[in-house]
Amino acid sequence: MDTIISTTKLNSNEIFDLMTQFITEVIGEEFVEEMDITMESSFTKDLEMDSIEIVSFSEKIKTHFGEQIDFTGWLSNMDLDQLINLNLGTIVNYIEECQ
Amino acid sequence: MSKFLFVVPPFFGHISPTLSIGASLIAKGHEVKWLGITPLAATHVPEGGEYIYPEADLVEYQEELQKILKRQDDGPACSGPEVMKLALEETYVPIARIMMKGLGNFVDTWQPDVIVNDCITFAGALCAHIKGIPCVTTTPVPPDVMGDTANSAPKIFEWQENLVKGLQQEFGVYGDDIVIHSRKMNLVFTSLEFAGLQDPMPHMKFVGPVKGRPNNVAFDWERLEKATTPKVFVSLGTLLVDIRAAFFQKLIDAFADAPLTIVAATSPDIFEKWPDNFIVSGFVPQAELMPKMDVVICHGGFNTVNDTFINGLPMLITPIAYDHFHTAKLIENAGCGLKIRYKRLRIEDLKKAIFELLENPQYRNAALRIKDTFLAAGGNDKAVQLLEEFAAAEQVMAVVN
Repeated sequence: MDTIISTTKLNSNEIFDLMTQFITEVIGEEFVEEMDITMESSFTKDLEMDSIEIVSFSEKIKTHFGEQIDFTGWLSNMDLDQLINLNLGTIVNYIEECQ
Repeated sequence: MSKFLFVVPPFFGHISPTLSIGASLIAKGHEVKWLGITPLAATHVPEGGEYIYPEADLVEYQEELQKILKRQDDGPACSGPEVMKLALEETYVPIARIMMKGLGNFVDTWQPDVIVNDCITFAGALCAHIKGIPCVTTTPVPPDVMGDTANSAPKIFEWQENLVKGLQQEFGVYGDDIVIHSRKMNLVFTSLEFAGLQDPMPHMKFVGPVKGRPNNVAFDWERLEKATTPKVFVSLGTLLVDIRAAFFQKLIDAFADAPLTIVAATSPDIFEKWPDNFIVSGFVPQAELMPKMDVVICHGGFNTVNDTFINGLPMLITPIAYDHFHTAKLIENAGCGLKIRYKRLRIEDLKKAIFELLENPQYRNAALRIKDTFLAAGGNDKAVQLLEEFAAAEQVMAVVN
């Protein structure tokens, strides 16, 4: 499923669901069960994702959306406070705008 | 003979290798002192050396210093970017600021020939730069922890540069040069092969692990000798106090009554009762203990990493924060161990990993290859030789100029 590059535009709810699916695949179902993933969930703090997990999450986005979304490039231009405060909602908005 | 001053942070993991090299320098007839901003028990200091704690010059900073030390307990709960902030902005830079007065006064009195600063103890190299004293840096961890931020994360690179330059300017050092580390010699206590660097700068000298610091703690050797099952050494190092109970509870859940002997380096009083196959001791003679072990579990503190691979043992690394993830990656690259991130640690995976490391010889063989690179790097003898050559060359330079 996630090897097919999507051509239809997703709305923010659909993007949120997709991101939740990627997060679950990356960090494992049993760890996600203990979390309440929302638009406000911070990436590094609430989801406790480390750099390796963020890289594999980025790869899933790339595989799904293709070149139209440069998620890694977007992240690498952030400063520390932006990274600390990065939440799922910001990512969903970014993807929605890029589509 | 030369006078060497080691400038160290209030973290024992960083002090430890300098005590080992210092002991070797003293044995060669050099004068060696250490300076730090928290007291250090006299039993740790090699005979003939002296640890300077400039108490009077620290009075005005005590409150801030205690706050910084307490803040370290938050490290394990911090995310990667938060740890970067905690380390550089809330720890290394303020510690340098706190240190400068006492360090400067002592340097003026004792007039060392060489200042050796630990890599996170910026005051050492900064003071050496200001006073024109030759400086060497020691790096206990594989370098390149942050990666190439200049290219991969330009805003983070800029933040680092601004913090360090701001510190330098406070002490009257202007210009674009970063002077908190030696540009002439940096002793790194691992091997180039393990660090996985292709093309290090020529002043980076990979001398491998060093040993020989005083460590005279008692241990129940008799009980260990009686154990017949494979021996697993477990250490969380000297920091990370808050998560100690949770970490060791996982080990108990995984290995209570398993056909293993668990040697745990932690204060026994975190639990009322330990399983019979656990030998628990607050302080251990780690260097002597390690050769009797079969496998090691640790979070990635570099002294335990070095003790493990210098003995050719495989490791399960459970990275928590700081540079642990970088070390874990190096271990995976070398094939000498397995990694399970602490925050994703399942009891079943823990069991599986330990038996895999014990039963599959590929990990031990890879660990033995790392051992060879560590031994070839030269250790104490190489470090002393480099420091002596450096001091001699700088003395010649001083005469010529």
